[in-house]
Amino acid sequence: MLEVHNLTKIYDDGTVALRDVSFKLPDGEFMVVIGLSGSGKSTLLRCINRLIDPTEGEIIWNGIDLAKLKGKELRETRRSIGMIFQHFNLVKRSSVLTNVLAGRLGYTPIRLSVMGRFSKGDMKLAHQALERLGIPEQASKRADELSGGQQQRVGIARALMQQPKLILADEPVASLDPVLAHSILQQLERLNREDRISILCSLHYLDLVQRYATTVIGLHEGRIVYRGSARDIRAMTDAEFKDIYGQEAERVGESIGGIIQDA
Amino acid sequence: MIEPKPSPPIQPRPNPIQAIVVAILTFFLPGLGQLFARKIRRALLMLASYATIGGLIVWRFVEAAPRDTGFVPIFLKGIRLEPMLLFILILAIIFMILASIDAYFLIRGVERNAAGLFILIAVLFFFLGWQLSDINLVRFITGLDEGRYRLSQVMWPWSRAIERPEELIRGEAIIEIPCSENPPAQSEILPDEAYVISDPTCGVLSVQQGPEGSPLHLIGGNFIPNMEVDIMWEDPIGNEFRQRQGGEYISVMSDDEGGFEIDIIMPYRLLPTDVGEFQYWAVFGQQVASLGEAQASTELKLAISHMIETIFLGMMATCFGIVFSVPISFLAARNLMSASWITVIIYYLVRGVLNIVRSIEPLIWAVIATIIVGLGPFAGILALTVHSIAALGKLYSEAIESIDPGPIEAIQATGANWLQTVVYGVIPQIIPPFVSFTIYRWDINVRMSTIIGMVGGGGIGFLLYQWIKLLDYRAAGIAVWFIAITVAILDFVSAEIRKRFV
Repeated sequence: MLEVHNLTKIYDDGTVALRDVSFKLPDGEFMVVIGLSGSGKSTLLRCINRLIDPTEGEIIWNGIDLAKLKGKELRETRRSIGMIFQHFNLVKRSSVLTNVLAGRLGYTPIRLSVMGRFSKGDMKLAHQALERLGIPEQASKRADELSGGQQQRVGIARALMQQPKLILADEPVASLDPVLAHSILQQLERLNREDRISILCSLHYLDLVQRYATTVIGLHEGRIVYRGSARDIRAMTDAEFKDIYGQEAERVGESIGGIIQDA
Repeated sequence: MIEPKPSPPIQPRPNPIQAIVVAILTFFLPGLGQLFARKIRRALLMLASYATIGGLIVWRFVEAAPRDTGFVPIFLKGIRLEPMLLFILILAIIFMILASIDAYFLIRGVERNAAGLFILIAVLFFFLGWQLSDINLVRFITGLDEGRYRLSQVMWPWSRAIERPEELIRGEAIIEIPCSENPPAQSEILPDEAYVISDPTCGVLSVQQGPEGSPLHLIGGNFIPNMEVDIMWEDPIGNEFRQRQGGEYISVMSDDEGGFEIDIIMPYRLLPTDVGEFQYWAVFGQQVASLGEAQASTELKLAISHMIETIFLGMMATCFGIVFSVPISFLAARNLMSASWITVIIYYLVRGVLNIVRSIEPLIWAVIATIIVGLGPFAGILALTVHSIAALGKLYSEAIESIDPGPIEAIQATGANWLQTVVYGVIPQIIPPFVSFTIYRWDINVRMSTIIGMVGGGGIGFLLYQWIKLLDYRAAGIAVWFIAITVAILDFVSAEIRKRFV
């Protein structure tokens, strides 16, 4: 269970990225964050695993306030929260296997990991993860030799290595074509259903949101302006749409499953 | 909103007489007419070019006739010694004429393109440059012909790479001076050693501005066939000298069997007369022959040992360069140093020093280093190290600046600590460019160290410089070949290694 209370983030240059954001993410949900570029989606996800330090507010993760954690405690808590990225963020020149094993660093003694050594159990886990994501034969390739879709699978495998209870996905399909986007989101959906991993995912395409989300929040200029379920998305009114995407945004076509065009 | 343009004031069109006057003035001062016609930029460009070209032409004339005074003598001597100056002068006059024509039409209100004029200015500067920098194609062609022999020595120096030890072949006869009642016996014909038999075996020496000495008939044998034999003398106190007769050294060609016959007159006296009643001198034939086993010449050995020294010189300089430039590169990386104003100041300071050090050529650093540690490879290592630190420091810091923050973020998100993040997120990103830059630098350092010897930095350059100064072009050729081969191999190897890492 993740609870965010009154989260505010003001950057050093004065930009207010998040204002008073509060929501609850019950275990096993697939929550999607929608909103324009710059609406604070990435900041929100990075505050939750403290890649960015929030200015104010509480982030209660299974009873612990993440916002107050430091050092070793923070790192130990981070292990249970995986993260995947729009640009995959793999170490391009390292092998796929090394990239996947990096997900295990939080559990590995520093002494061994600095030497590049991982336990047999971890190696087995890494191969299982690659197999589960359908790319077992790519283990020894360099990460940048893989296609975009395959790289994102490596990213998911790395997150999976943490044996997380929650995966944060920052626009995981924004650099992929629509077919690959579905296959990546299906992988996340499988993890969500089979392993009961909660997903907090930011997305741009409303048809994907409808198809995969169980619950949705919409951000506009750092505030939550919309809350709903997947079913509510289908019934989104024009007014709600404009709350999220601004007054100049237009919905394409009659159906709601259109593509958002930034004004 | 577009405002209606105010109608241009009707300018009185100057009459042709006025235009011609301006054109004539413009001939003497190109740009003047253009100035009147309000073509300010064109006028200034033409004035500046005119002043520069005029100044240069005057200077070249004075330079060509430094001892003459007065306009006419300088002019005449200038075009006689430097015919190109006349050509340049004609071009300049054409430029002045074209400028005045341009001015005439501009004054008459005709828009004209000045591209031709400026091309002419460029051509003028080209020929002035040609004259000024002493370009002489004729000398190049004739010099090429004259230098062909030396060049061929440099291009194919390998006869100098092998040498045979020299051996003296000598046969002698004892001569008594003056003749006693019992002159020495004639030397024997030896079965397999060179010999010289004199007939007679005694006589008197020549006297300066006096009577000639006795004639001797020499027969030699067992010398190397078809090779010159020098006729030499050894006096009673052991001095050896080559005999001269009629101003020429005496030598004789041996026949196919290695024998010779020659008539000579006994040489001048070089010793005081009162050494004793009778003196025993020796006349001998001598050949200097390279007969021994072929072996690597001293020059070849020197070239090889100094080439090895050079490669290691480059390597050591690169090693020291790495050791110092890695920590410095972190101080010179903007993304690491933008945290506070103190680090920013350090960043600019380090960057500035690196730029200054890098802009000073290694050759100059070598001169400075030889002042401190004296001639030799160590000076070369110091010079190349200093330059490598600056160059690698900049390249490394740019590699650090260009690392992708994404993977670092991703590794942090897994719960990895600082050290793990560096090992898994930072090092894999900077190792490839670091290796690549380092190999490249090693390549450069070896190439540089081949010439750094010329200013006393040790290595093969030192030898090369010496041999060129001694006009030993074959030996220099050996050094050039070794440098070329080494640099080519290194170039290939470094390119291959860098390909693997990028």
